[in-house]
Amino acid sequence: MVRTVSAFRPALRSGQRFDASAAARPILSFESVFKSYRTDQPVLRGTNLVVERGEFVFITGPSGAGKSTLLRLVYCAEQADDGRILFLGRDVARLTEQSIPVLRRNMGVVFQDFRLVPAWTVFDNIAIPLEILGLPSRLIRTRVGEVLERVGLAGRGVDMVSGLSGGEQQRVAIARAIVGEPALILADEPTGNLDPQLAIDILGLFEEIHETGTTILFATHDRSLLEVRSHRIVVLNEGRAIDVPNGLAVPIDEAGPPVDEFTVPMTRVAV
Amino acid sequence: MIGGSMASVGRVWRSGRGDGKVYMLSVFSLAVAFVCLSSALLVVFNLRAVEMRWARAGRISVYLRDGTSQDQVAQLRRALEQTPAVASTRHVTAADARKEMVEDGVAGSLAVLPVEAFPASIELALTDEVTDQQVAAIAQKLRDMPSIESVETYQRWTDRISALVRGGVAASAVLALVVLAAVVSVISSTMRFALHRRRIEVEVLKLVGATDRFVRRPFLVEGALQGALGAAASLALLALLYAIVRGKFDDELGVLLGVHPTFLPWEIMAAMVGSGAVLGALSAFAGVRKLSAV
Repeated sequence: MVRTVSAFRPALRSGQRFDASAAARPILSFESVFKSYRTDQPVLRGTNLVVERGEFVFITGPSGAGKSTLLRLVYCAEQADDGRILFLGRDVARLTEQSIPVLRRNMGVVFQDFRLVPAWTVFDNIAIPLEILGLPSRLIRTRVGEVLERVGLAGRGVDMVSGLSGGEQQRVAIARAIVGEPALILADEPTGNLDPQLAIDILGLFEEIHETGTTILFATHDRSLLEVRSHRIVVLNEGRAIDVPNGLAVPIDEAGPPVDEFTVPMTRVAV
Repeated sequence: MIGGSMASVGRVWRSGRGDGKVYMLSVFSLAVAFVCLSSALLVVFNLRAVEMRWARAGRISVYLRDGTSQDQVAQLRRALEQTPAVASTRHVTAADARKEMVEDGVAGSLAVLPVEAFPASIELALTDEVTDQQVAAIAQKLRDMPSIESVETYQRWTDRISALVRGGVAASAVLALVVLAAVVSVISSTMRFALHRRRIEVEVLKLVGATDRFVRRPFLVEGALQGALGAAASLALLALLYAIVRGKFDDELGVLLGVHPTFLPWEIMAAMVGSGAVLGALSAFAGVRKLSAV
């Protein structure tokens, strides 16, 4: 495949009139994506995945299945070996290094280890995406105040991040991810370091964000989260994506052997 | 634009405040290096003033032998005043010489000497058009006269001063290179250390869409501040030492050199601080130019 480089320009630019056809296009699609860290162990083998605008998608699979790799390919922390990854109509797998920062301003990423700057306050950590955009200070203060309230941390802007609990830190990380009002949120095991109740709370927060129209990719291996919600599930197994559009259903077979945790009924297979 | 600048200052403070102790050490190291350079510049600047003072002295001092009569002095003066290169003559007796020394404010040191210790002389004021060769020719003729002890054209003195100035300029150039190496080494190392300490911050910035230029900017400002503060601290220290030394030797130096010592002019100080800032920024850029990829 001939590789060409391109600059990132979203298909729908700010200031333009609403384009119904653009809104109907998927926000993200993987087309025959290959990625391997070792030649004998590919992580993604011809993975195909389509995510529509406004969807909430769980990405799940066993350890090493490629959940994090999938997300890292979207925000260009990794480069695909082959295939196309279309975000807002542009192939991000072919982006120049100068365009990657622009891409990342159009999406929010939440990590398992929060990825906050411990020496900064809550306000500073949340405000940084807006500072990068060059917004005026007054607008930044207003916007940060709004998201703090949204994630349940109103009035906590002056607190140092290092003094917060795990759940609170993750809320700060979520606030940072949404403060720029991105079209897509990528959550890489955001509840991995939290207790089960906190995990449910954080999931609820993501769902509130989803209700405003934001597309969310939520990577997790926590089956309990998959069971309590009926969102679309994409299972990564042996480098391929298997789609479960209506949520996880665990088949009960009293006579047969235990069902593999990640064996799911096939309602739609993406090959 | 002002708001953007304030935001940049805020970012620099937010990011750099945790490295304050390291930066103080860096500024101190730079101040030591800059003190050497600024000291050399101070000496060269004042030597240059002395050189300028004596280069166009336009005078010859003819020292008379003891026992020269008034008639001989008058005859000599008439002959000299008819020389085209001589504008005017003045007879300075021994008593006059002592009186002039005292009036120059050297009381307490040379004033205790007796009158006989001060030589009588004829001071020649030369025209502006006189050349060095004409001065040398006049001096040679005067030395051949029996009533004249010695002739001082101040040319050797000026030549020595000029040689000192040239040596001082060369030494300053070498010291400038040493300072340059010190600034680059200290600041780039300090910035690499700061970058390592703030790697989480850098990683987060790049994850949320900051360009390399946005990430580097605070480091460049911090480097410029270190360079400027190092230069300013050295000038402050030098000014303090200068004030102490000048207070004790100002009169003597004025009499000996013909000019009173002065501190570096504002233009040179501003250039040093500005150069420190520019070097600091460039050194910081060299230290953080390769930001780790995320």
